[in-house]
Amino acid sequence: MIFENLLNAFEAVFALNNLMLMALGVLAGLIAGSIPGFTITMAVVLALPFTFGMSPIEGLSTMLGVYVGGLTGGMFASILIGIPGTPSAIATTFDGFPMSRKGRPGLALGLGLWASFFGGIISAVVLVFLAPTLAAIGLEFGPWDYFMLVCFALTIAASLSEGALIKGLIAGVFGLLVASVGEDHINGAARFTFDFDVMGAGFSFLPVLIGLFAFSQLLNDMSDTATAKKPMIEGHHKAVKMEHRQSIALNILNWFTVLRSALIGLFIGLLPAAGSSISNILAYDQTKKASKTPEAFGTGTPQGLISSEASNNATAGGALIMMMALGIPGDAVTAVMLGALTIHNIAPSPTFITTQPILAYGIMVAYFLANFMTLAMTSGALRVFLLVTRIPLYILGVVILLYCAIGVFTLNNTTFDIWTLLVFGVLGFVMVKNGFPLTPMVLGVVLGPLAELNLSRSISTSDDLTLFFTRPWALFFIVMALFSVFFPMYQSAVKAGKRWANFYGVGFMACTSVPLMMMEGGFRTGLGAVLLVLAAWLTINKLRTAKTQKPSST
Amino acid sequence: MKRLNRDAITALLLLILCGVFFWQTFDIREVPFSEMGSEVWPRFVLILLTVLSLIYLFRSVTLARPDGEPFSWSRWLRTYQNAMICFVMFLIFLLALPYLGMLLAGILFVFVTQSIIGGLTPRRLMLHGTVAVLAVGGMWSIFTFALRVVLPSGELFS
Repeated sequence: MIFENLLNAFEAVFALNNLMLMALGVLAGLIAGSIPGFTITMAVVLALPFTFGMSPIEGLSTMLGVYVGGLTGGMFASILIGIPGTPSAIATTFDGFPMSRKGRPGLALGLGLWASFFGGIISAVVLVFLAPTLAAIGLEFGPWDYFMLVCFALTIAASLSEGALIKGLIAGVFGLLVASVGEDHINGAARFTFDFDVMGAGFSFLPVLIGLFAFSQLLNDMSDTATAKKPMIEGHHKAVKMEHRQSIALNILNWFTVLRSALIGLFIGLLPAAGSSISNILAYDQTKKASKTPEAFGTGTPQGLISSEASNNATAGGALIMMMALGIPGDAVTAVMLGALTIHNIAPSPTFITTQPILAYGIMVAYFLANFMTLAMTSGALRVFLLVTRIPLYILGVVILLYCAIGVFTLNNTTFDIWTLLVFGVLGFVMVKNGFPLTPMVLGVVLGPLAELNLSRSISTSDDLTLFFTRPWALFFIVMALFSVFFPMYQSAVKAGKRWANFYGVGFMACTSVPLMMMEGGFRTGLGAVLLVLAAWLTINKLRTAKTQKPSST
Repeated sequence: MKRLNRDAITALLLLILCGVFFWQTFDIREVPFSEMGSEVWPRFVLILLTVLSLIYLFRSVTLARPDGEPFSWSRWLRTYQNAMICFVMFLIFLLALPYLGMLLAGILFVFVTQSIIGGLTPRRLMLHGTVAVLAVGGMWSIFTFALRVVLPSGELFS
């Protein structure tokens, strides 16, 4: 069955038309990702209006091309000029730029390119096998569990907003409020229209998203007049020839670093709303900690560069798994893809892979292919990157502002969407300037209807509200949500050397074991029991260590 | 009053917004026979937002923060000058759109905004004009002829 679906998906993805669109997407992603200040989300959001007239498989393949291309393109600026092209390439700068300054830009680019490729391929293999399994688990979810899953997605998005948990939570809940404007999807009653007819349909997802991400980001980048007037990269940079042979050899030699970083990237991608901007730094940090020569990091060591690039590309696979299996976006880009699917009247859920097998497997095949295309097109894109970055930012920025307007108009052929774009552009700009993260808000807008629908379903199914806390999966997500809310406090406690921080992980294991033991099936119950025993053993050990340390310290 | 910093003002604005929206929930039509009324979810969200805003207000008032530079309008205007130009120009573009259409309003928006930010030297004006015509004209052509999207043509030209 899997092979039959894969074959059908291959046929759809390898259609000439689709290949050309994907190649365009990869090229656009490589260039957009390489321009400092332009994020991958912005590139995918801008590509979205062009996909309305395409079939779902063509549209998603194009966007995947932009996504994967953007993840790799981010390394150009990081390596050549020391400015991360995208937040997902921050750690690439740490060793890529020093290596480039030492006269090996070709090796640095080659290492980054091949690490991205290997990371992407590892992630794609896991995607093919894990997405259907996770979707099968998702079929066990009732409305109570789904509601709690959405709550968990919002809390984790907020907790990952550096030092701004409350602001992150406010942004997420504000997103839920924005999603509730307009006609109620369940009963059809108008809400918060303030007697304006145009508000009856609510805010379309796309103008809100473009306003929040692209519009506000562009205005932020152009804030400084002097910087806006200068070319993005000054000075003359010659096209660099990549050292492919040595790069492949070094990647194979550091296969464990590639594998570990790819798995870190995958795991981060699986967490709702946690994207490649986190995974690249985490993977770099882990590689540095595991290295026998940590002092070499930051001076141009290949492992540092490999870990960052392998992890950021692998994150895409994890994010796609969550999107396809549960309908929960793994990061901001998959939130856009979720929006694109709904435009085509397809709603990802645990049944998505079984009801839309060609599209689901098509996404997997396209993700595989996008990695190969990126590999093939990088050299060409590097030349375009050097040309594009000579254009002053304000020229590019103003043109893109207008493209945003044209793009959102095409969604419903109404100027109200352009007004929405402006309003949310201003709002996004003000939010960023006041330290409010945008990702939780976008998640709130995307997941708001899903949360309301499942809350309504659960109340219709049973009057028993305790089901929100007593069903195993609902309880599991409550535990995850609570621990994600306290995660920033745990990080501060670790820095301050507080004793309770030692027991955070153990507490998490013990609490997670309870819903796991309540679940059906021997494996999960067994896993829960093992976690509980392990938590008890670790607690005893930590208490003993603390006791022995106390007398010596006093 | 000294303690009313930017965060506190934001929190107060959020609380006012919550109040206005909560008041609006009483205008939501009651749907007979529905298990969960249309107003339940927004109220739940608004209560949550109110609680979070109150925590935000409390933290912003109680937490000590280092004294920053005193507020100055001229510095504020300098910092946000370009953003303000873009917002105002985009607003004018939107108001002109029904009359001039996407092509002409778009070209004018790009040309004027670039010229205000980038400068008015003859060389720059030439560059901005060329970019505006090629970039907007090119995209307009793609949407109109290739993607068959009917973009606003404007009352003056229809």
